[in-house]
Amino acid sequence: MNWKQTIAGLVLGMGMALPGVASGQTLTVLRTVDSFSYDPQRATAAAASEIAFLLGDTLVALDFDMKTIKPLLAKSWTVSPDGKTYTFELRDDVSFCSGKKMTSEDVVYTFNRMLDTENKKPSAQKMGKVKSITAAGPTRIVYELNEPYNELLYTLTLMHGTILNKENVDALGKDFGIKGVDGTGPFCWESWTPRTEMTLKRHAAYKWGPPIYANKGPAKVEKIVWKMVPEDASRMAAVMSGQGDLTYAVPLWSVAELKKAPNVAITAPANYFRTCFIGNKITRDLMKDIEVRKAMNLAVNREDIAKQIFFGNAIPAPAYLHPGTPDFAASTQNTPLGKYNPAEAKKLLDAAGWKAGSDGMREKNGVRLSPVLFILNSGSNPQMATAVQGYMRQVGIDLKIEAFDATAYFTKIATQEFDMFLLCNPYASAGDVLNVYWRSQNRPIPNRMNWIDAETDGWLDAGLQASDPKVRAENYAKVQEKIVANALWVPLVHDMVFVAASKKVKNVKPHATFTSLLYKGLDVSF
Amino acid sequence: MNAVQAIATPAATPPTRATIWRRLLADRAAAVAALLLSVLIVAAILAPLIAPYDPYAINLGKAIRTPDGENWLGTDATGRDIFSRVLYGMRLTLLMGVMSVLVGGLLGAAIGVLAAFYKRIDGVVMRVIDMLLAFPAILIGLAAAAIFGPGLGAVIFALIFATVPDVARIARGAAVGVASQEFLEAGRAIGLSDRVLLWRYLALNCASTIFVFLTLRFGQVILIGSALGFLGLGAQPPTAELGMMAADGRGLLFLAPHIVTIPCVFIFLIVLAANVVGDALRDVLDPRLVA
Repeated sequence: MNWKQTIAGLVLGMGMALPGVASGQTLTVLRTVDSFSYDPQRATAAAASEIAFLLGDTLVALDFDMKTIKPLLAKSWTVSPDGKTYTFELRDDVSFCSGKKMTSEDVVYTFNRMLDTENKKPSAQKMGKVKSITAAGPTRIVYELNEPYNELLYTLTLMHGTILNKENVDALGKDFGIKGVDGTGPFCWESWTPRTEMTLKRHAAYKWGPPIYANKGPAKVEKIVWKMVPEDASRMAAVMSGQGDLTYAVPLWSVAELKKAPNVAITAPANYFRTCFIGNKITRDLMKDIEVRKAMNLAVNREDIAKQIFFGNAIPAPAYLHPGTPDFAASTQNTPLGKYNPAEAKKLLDAAGWKAGSDGMREKNGVRLSPVLFILNSGSNPQMATAVQGYMRQVGIDLKIEAFDATAYFTKIATQEFDMFLLCNPYASAGDVLNVYWRSQNRPIPNRMNWIDAETDGWLDAGLQASDPKVRAENYAKVQEKIVANALWVPLVHDMVFVAASKKVKNVKPHATFTSLLYKGLDVSF
Repeated sequence: MNAVQAIATPAATPPTRATIWRRLLADRAAAVAALLLSVLIVAAILAPLIAPYDPYAINLGKAIRTPDGENWLGTDATGRDIFSRVLYGMRLTLLMGVMSVLVGGLLGAAIGVLAAFYKRIDGVVMRVIDMLLAFPAILIGLAAAAIFGPGLGAVIFALIFATVPDVARIARGAAVGVASQEFLEAGRAIGLSDRVLLWRYLALNCASTIFVFLTLRFGQVILIGSALGFLGLGAQPPTAELGMMAADGRGLLFLAPHIVTIPCVFIFLIVLAANVVGDALRDVLDPRLVA
């Protein structure tokens, strides 16, 4: 019996295990994780952004190519010659779900709330070094920076740039994002039962969709219901049986078979960049030794991980960024550290004084080479970690794995209790990821490596402030070369995500932004 | 035989060792179960000699292989030989069971017998035991993992902790029955010390009841320990442990069902064999059933 027959049996057995909400105009999306909040400025996970993009809008939108900035709430914008002042002209026909008209005051309030130092927001740094954000009339925003910031327009397309209704935020207080969000997006908040179900209804007045969609609004489906179905088999059975219409959480083992399934369409977003890597906390005793970090890079067979753990739905990652990433440094793609060479790894460790003990694991001055790796206990992470652990053992490194579920993991990797951590992180450009992970000031998170380097900070500043794309790329290349040379990560693979949808759902074109594959969902229909 | 020994003899005569073996072997199901359990225990002990591969050696080129001549029980998601891992996994699974019934049994029996003998502490001790009985073993395991961190030690601690009140309750019940008999009063009347009364008169006369309970308990603790391993609270990777091996294969259930099924089958066999043997021992050892 193959797995499809097994699933078919399960479906019959399940009967109507999932409450039947599907109707002609209700899109049922199946997911595996929920967010703790849908306040777009407090939440950072993809689980929040995939809904935040539907509930609210940003000033500008990101095209499917993940590069081109398109109008959304701002119909146009200009940038001053020195790159420090952005002036946005807002649409005057935008309203929140509550019916309140959106004005420049809402935009100023939103951005100032983001920058509020008393209630620090995790993505505040992405707003740039702001001098002032002011309303110059009901439809004009002047965004002034202390220094140029060429990532600004891109970062304003992200979830944290969602424009909020001040009255709604004030009225809900601490419950904002938990009991409701009044946004200008194509869908409105109807109900949320945490870790169970979220229901959004169509925003009837919506007509300001970004030009990347044929339909500018209102959305074609009346409701979207997000249901939690954490188990892979149950989720796939529900999609195949029609109890769910769509899921982003497609187990990789099922991709090849789903492509052949008659009633399910499987698609992947173009220009999706996500890298799975192991970060080394270099202030820990074992990880201070660069030879250990280099040996770890040489010990791992990335090709086999991509092929066997990801079933071919990933490419090996010898470098820290996907080769298609804007401003990727090609010089980092073929370094010796990116190649599987366990013999060289052993030589490095021997030369560094790490000698194999009676059980084959290495020691130095009585200290066992036994780093602790923290992992998220979901998806392909356990298998990846187990494979890495096996490779490490082959060169005498006794890697210890500690697995946590999603509720605990991000708290645990904000501590200093581990030597290494495993993460898969999406990004749009070199600047997007480098400025997050490698700035000295971003310790202990997201710079969990504790990398402190003035030269890196200088290059990042130069990259961010460059008006010339070539200068920007050169500076970002220097950063990439330096962090690769210091073996600060063990990059593993650049993976892929998929959308599996019932074939009755039309016009599903996945968007790559922060794994929020529906994005605005304006063209999706039955 | 002196007078005291004569008085100490219980009403029902316990079976001799030869009788026990004869009756055990006469029960075919018990004999097969005992043989199976013995084979599994010996295989686990001899795992380093029997295992055809290093249970920790990954080989992604051979990942997710179904059973064949090269890998008798197939390979897991990282190409590790499942047969070798099952042999090593049984060592830990059996160790969990043995440790928890031995230590938990000793502690529980001591508490139960003492409570039955010293009436002044009986009420307090048994109310504490009643409180402990209210905690499910899984909950104790979660608490132990939270305090000590996930690991085999936390699981064994939880299993011991969960076993103690059960055994204490059984031991106390048996000891109260024995303590009400005249030979104990007689022993006390001739001036025997508490130590002698407790050990020779009370504990030894409760031993068969406690032993039978522990043999049945053995299967339960294996199941609970495996469940804790499945939840990730037990042995940590790459250590092979049957519950954790089942959890490792869960994500690939439909693609490679053997990865999750095989460790579960071995858990099933161990528990079934232990229960059948325990059941048979009860039939054999209980003097009342003999009579």
